[in-house]
Amino acid sequence: MEIWTPFQNALSLMIALEGELIAIIGLSLMVSLTAVATSMVIGLPMGALLAAYQFPGRTAVIVVTNTFLGMPPVVIGLVIYLLISRAGPFGWMGILYTPAAMMLAQTILVLPISIALSRQAFEALNGEYAPLFRSLGLGRIAWIKALVVEARVALLTIALACFGRAISEVGAVMIVGGNIRHSTRVMTTSIALATSMGDLAFAMALGMVLLLVALLVNIASQFLRHNFRKHGHDV
Amino acid sequence: MTVQGLTLIRNGVRLLDDISTTIRSGRITVLLGHNGAGKTLFLSCLHGLIGYEAGRIEGPPRASQKMVFQKPIILRRSARHHLEFICPDIDRKLLEELMGRAGLAERIDAPARALSGGEQQKLALIGAIAAKPDILFLDEPTSHLDFEATEFIEAMITEAHANGTSIMLTTHNRAQAERLGEDVLLLDRGELIEVAPADQFFHSPKHPIARQYLAHL
Repeated sequence: MEIWTPFQNALSLMIALEGELIAIIGLSLMVSLTAVATSMVIGLPMGALLAAYQFPGRTAVIVVTNTFLGMPPVVIGLVIYLLISRAGPFGWMGILYTPAAMMLAQTILVLPISIALSRQAFEALNGEYAPLFRSLGLGRIAWIKALVVEARVALLTIALACFGRAISEVGAVMIVGGNIRHSTRVMTTSIALATSMGDLAFAMALGMVLLLVALLVNIASQFLRHNFRKHGHDV
Repeated sequence: MTVQGLTLIRNGVRLLDDISTTIRSGRITVLLGHNGAGKTLFLSCLHGLIGYEAGRIEGPPRASQKMVFQKPIILRRSARHHLEFICPDIDRKLLEELMGRAGLAERIDAPARALSGGEQQKLALIGAIAAKPDILFLDEPTSHLDFEATEFIEAMITEAHANGTSIMLTTHNRAQAERLGEDVLLLDRGELIEVAPADQFFHSPKHPIARQYLAHL
């Protein structure tokens, strides 16, 4: 087989917009985007809270969060598996081998990123704005809300980092999703399977789509950033 | 506003040392002193931005106070949105009128942080004055500003004062202190050296440190 053959086949598959390929891409995006959105909704206020307030256990939360930053996805997958399997404490939910389990795993995977990076961004901004916010008498919620608004450009970058981690991981979704065809098969698990089965064209097509998705997401973020700059939000 | 025994200690150093005084309502009080004398810390304590080790401060609630910082703190928003955040109840017409008077009418929707230093200081002052506070703290509001910006800011201060706002400002500019000040407080290394009406302070200061300070001002 020529080295270029998988590329050519991949291009043909992409141009043909093969049905299964589209379903896999759609599920991948849905799972990862949901995980990123959930982790941002939970992580940003936590990051802001850690940056702006001193409270008992704050350092412990920071240490745990930073530790989870380097946690291998397979370990997270395994822990989630144990929790949601039939014998686990959350087995009653019946979400093992469903997209919901994959979203949960990816959320846990990227949550430390959103907390740690947003804490850093918020710490810098809080140092800058604390005198003003205190002078204005902002309450805790209003303070955090204002910090989130001021950090919006940095948060966009954080969301991108989370998305990059979520869309590219394979271990966690493989364990809790089971890589079931037409159900929980996403791009990364498909690539692993297709490669092991020798279907290099399909694997390569998915690899190229992964790159394309990353490119499109970055273009979208650049567009947003440009828009922010134009309206004075990023000077 | 009354201050009794205000003492601020950081790392074992008494940055404000047992300060007691009364800041008269409806007046423009000028706070003088060398760099490091404790002027900014004193304003920050009065405004409730920082805690202190001992003493008591009584005055209008912070909601009816405003402070303009030496280096204006500007949000990452347009000038209009910055003002709307600082002063949520601001009337749109008043906002545009004030921006017009500041010569910033055309920059109202420009990024606030892209404005020049003088324009940012004007913006900060507009936000503070539009709220019609009972007391306004100004920390070196015209340092590093050109004549035009200084003139505008002094006019705004005078107008706010005429509308009933008590003003307390720090400056290193003697002419400005004499132009605006009605009362003067002189701080030196965290101690309140002299409190006097401006005329008296500038023409017959009592304390030797005050005389020495004025000789170099």
